[in-house]
Amino acid sequence: MIKEIRENRETAAEVCRKAYADTQALQPKLNAVITFIDPEEQLANLPAEGLLRGVPVAVKDNCCTKGILTTAGSAILRDFVPPYDSTIVENLKKEGAVMICKTSMDELAMGGANTTAFTGPVHNPWDENRIPGGSSGGSVALVAAGVVPMAIGSDTGDSIRKPAAWCGVIGVKPTYGLISRYGCVPYASSLDTLGVITRSVEDACIALQAVAGRDSRDMTSADVEIPDYLASLNSDMHGKKLAVLGNVMDGLLNDNVRKVFNGIVEKLKERGAQVDVVYFDQKIMRAVLPAYYAIANAEASSNNADLDGMRFGVREPGETTEDIMMNTRTKNFNKMIRRRFTIGAFALDGENQEKIFRKAKKVRRLICEEINGCLEEYDAILAPTDGDIAPRFDDPGADPLSDYNLVTGGHLDLENFNGSPSMSVPMGFDQGCPLGISISAKPFDEITMFNVAKAVEEITGLKGLTAEVK
Amino acid sequence: MEYKATIGIEIHCELKTKSGMFSGAPNEFGLEANAGTCAIDLAMPGTLPELNEEGVRKAIQACTAFHLTLDPLVRFDRKNYFYSDLAKGFQITQQFHPLGRDGYLMIDTPEGKKKVRINRIHMEEDTAKQFHMNDKTLMDFNRSGVPLIEIVSEPDMTTGQEAEAYVEALRQTLYYIGASDAKMEEGSMRCDVNISLAPAGADHLGTKNEIKNINSISNVGKAIDFEIARQKAIYEAGGTIEQETRRFDDKINETVLMRKKEGIVDYKYFPEPNIPPIRLSAEWIKDIQDNMPELPDEKRVRYAEEYGLSSHDIGILIANKEMAEFFEKTMTLSENAKGVCNWLLSDISGWLNKNGQAVDSSALTPEHLAAFIGLIDEGRISSKQAKELLDDLMTGKDPVQAAKDRGLEQVSDAGAIEAIVAQVLDANPQAIADFAAGKNKAVGFLVGQVMKASAGKANPAIVNGLIQEMLKKRIS
Repeated sequence: MIKEIRENRETAAEVCRKAYADTQALQPKLNAVITFIDPEEQLANLPAEGLLRGVPVAVKDNCCTKGILTTAGSAILRDFVPPYDSTIVENLKKEGAVMICKTSMDELAMGGANTTAFTGPVHNPWDENRIPGGSSGGSVALVAAGVVPMAIGSDTGDSIRKPAAWCGVIGVKPTYGLISRYGCVPYASSLDTLGVITRSVEDACIALQAVAGRDSRDMTSADVEIPDYLASLNSDMHGKKLAVLGNVMDGLLNDNVRKVFNGIVEKLKERGAQVDVVYFDQKIMRAVLPAYYAIANAEASSNNADLDGMRFGVREPGETTEDIMMNTRTKNFNKMIRRRFTIGAFALDGENQEKIFRKAKKVRRLICEEINGCLEEYDAILAPTDGDIAPRFDDPGADPLSDYNLVTGGHLDLENFNGSPSMSVPMGFDQGCPLGISISAKPFDEITMFNVAKAVEEITGLKGLTAEVK
Repeated sequence: MEYKATIGIEIHCELKTKSGMFSGAPNEFGLEANAGTCAIDLAMPGTLPELNEEGVRKAIQACTAFHLTLDPLVRFDRKNYFYSDLAKGFQITQQFHPLGRDGYLMIDTPEGKKKVRINRIHMEEDTAKQFHMNDKTLMDFNRSGVPLIEIVSEPDMTTGQEAEAYVEALRQTLYYIGASDAKMEEGSMRCDVNISLAPAGADHLGTKNEIKNINSISNVGKAIDFEIARQKAIYEAGGTIEQETRRFDDKINETVLMRKKEGIVDYKYFPEPNIPPIRLSAEWIKDIQDNMPELPDEKRVRYAEEYGLSSHDIGILIANKEMAEFFEKTMTLSENAKGVCNWLLSDISGWLNKNGQAVDSSALTPEHLAAFIGLIDEGRISSKQAKELLDDLMTGKDPVQAAKDRGLEQVSDAGAIEAIVAQVLDANPQAIADFAAGKNKAVGFLVGQVMKASAGKANPAIVNGLIQEMLKKRIS
């Protein structure tokens, strides 16, 4: 889709205007947008060439946009207009993309349902009574609804991949360091990864190539050449060694998910791939989610300390600066955020740091050893992205300490821990709602990940899958 | 009863770099408030730190000058606390792995040289500056993110005088290597003193007190002297010393209480996730260390060997880097180190002080100073005449020309002087008779007469010689 829009130069403006109008029309149903951006000025100033020339895109609201409101879904930043562009937005502009909106997200990217943005919940385009997943729910919903061919999201634990699975789109979390984080309102610096959301593997290749690359302003940015992923795309599975994560499969409660997944695995074998079920240490797997929360909340509590109402954040009155900070943060963060900051600060506190934060980092190292060891032997690791379809808004949630929740629902954190590229591709349906398959590869081996994804896409025939919003 | 003080010092020193420790904002003193800041130093959401290579280089120079062992794996940590001058809500510092450990510095004490050990030097960033008005606080973020090193001494000092010597030696070295302006009055070097007092011979240290915000080197000594006296008085009155943070008030020359010991603040230090550990190459470090500017101590030795100056003169000369540099430049053009040094340290320094100027920015040039000393050494002007030329010299005039213009140049031409001597002798037969009678005083009288007749221009040494010679001729 991206290629067609880019190449039909005379219709690009029309496509962008339509995307803008369609997105506005969908707003009452999906509530996926925080700020609309009129495309006309961008259309008048398109670069002569660019991988995304004339392509309408939706950008998650944690990416700073010069002169355009950037709230990260939080009331505390509801009047923050950055004086600078994030690097990813600079790259979008350089490649000729036309930003039509800033999308809704869980407050400060902390959440998995997209119900905590200060602008209210986002609805799943497949079923308005279901969550889209978060925190990149707004971006994913718009791509799923077919109004834009691509969107930008961010993924700290699963925030691109899980909503992508639940909304039936492709969600790519590339290798940590491949896309600069400069200008992205942080959640947890050592895990935060920007990524792309599309409806075809080809588009994902183009989109990633357009926004990735070394940036001196982000010291964790990798100094690697960005290949032409699209030109490298090859769905031949002969000689490929694929691992299915047994721990995730064992925790499944929905048999249809297992059936759909195994059906794809069989087809991959037919196409020449060797597929083995592998197991990681279950004790470590059960520790993934707790370790993730300890590390992510700790980093988040520090990263967001600038939002104190002194320079940033809508300031609440108080007698002393301490009161102002306390009132501002109490009033303008939702309860979940306050809880996470409290837990994060608790984990870093001198008395607790050894037994919580540093222990979590040790667990992280152990997990990385497991996954890196597996990736030495296998080209890619496969698992259902999640154990089920998107939950309803009123779903009480799974037992938090069950394998289903900790392992089957929490395995996507693995790739945030070791930095591996990982993506979710639509694999089928259950009760009329989409399911995803996750594919991970060695760090910086996006090409292999895309190749397996392409094979899956050919097997399912779900390229370009679009929800019809009722 | 005798008491022994144990003193340790923490110095925060701003590095002299073009930009911030983690940002591109200019690092310049005296800019308009908030004109020298940027998105990173204002902690705009989404910004990330970018380590300043020049800052690391200057910090390595400091570590090298003070003989610290470098950690080639540079790592940063976050110190978390909420305060209005701290934009990010955390400071990037090096809590767990300082750049340098275990160094020392030699200081001069009345008992001779003393080694003060340095525990660590680490890199960090400065906070914003606050100006407290009546009911408002104004913020200047120019200082936010300015590169700092913190230099932590071991508690090796025992008197205010030693502490002063330590801070001065640190200041001088940091300034000489170009790592910092090290100006306490501008806040580019800040000093906190930890002091505890215990009865002499006690096997334990006294309760530690911290004195903050000392704004000059002499106040370091004054603050410590006051603090020792204060604590001594408490002991002798049978009281106990409480753990306090105090500050020095230079209006009353006393330390005053800021706060009593509170619970230990937990800064929740953890490794900075936005700056991966950086392995410094051995070649890069070696290059910095091989190209260190000459240290003050090295200069001291060289000045004694090369120029034969007294250690007193060397001390004064080196205390002022610009003066020392000016001296060295002049010495490429002059042979008379003592003369150059004396003039620089006495009349020229006096003139500069009186006129509020610094030697490197005044109109005086090394060429002119060398020529000026040459005029004196060659006997072309007397030292008295030289003083008359000082204003000209200091306002940029060529001293040779100025001496001519003022008609000051001494007559050293023996023929011309001989004629005057002959006249004077002719006019003073009594003096010749006195000389013949062995009264040497007569020579002095005659010299005076010749000088008078020459309007002071005759070279007194030549005059003296000629008079002796011609007197001898006349009486023989």
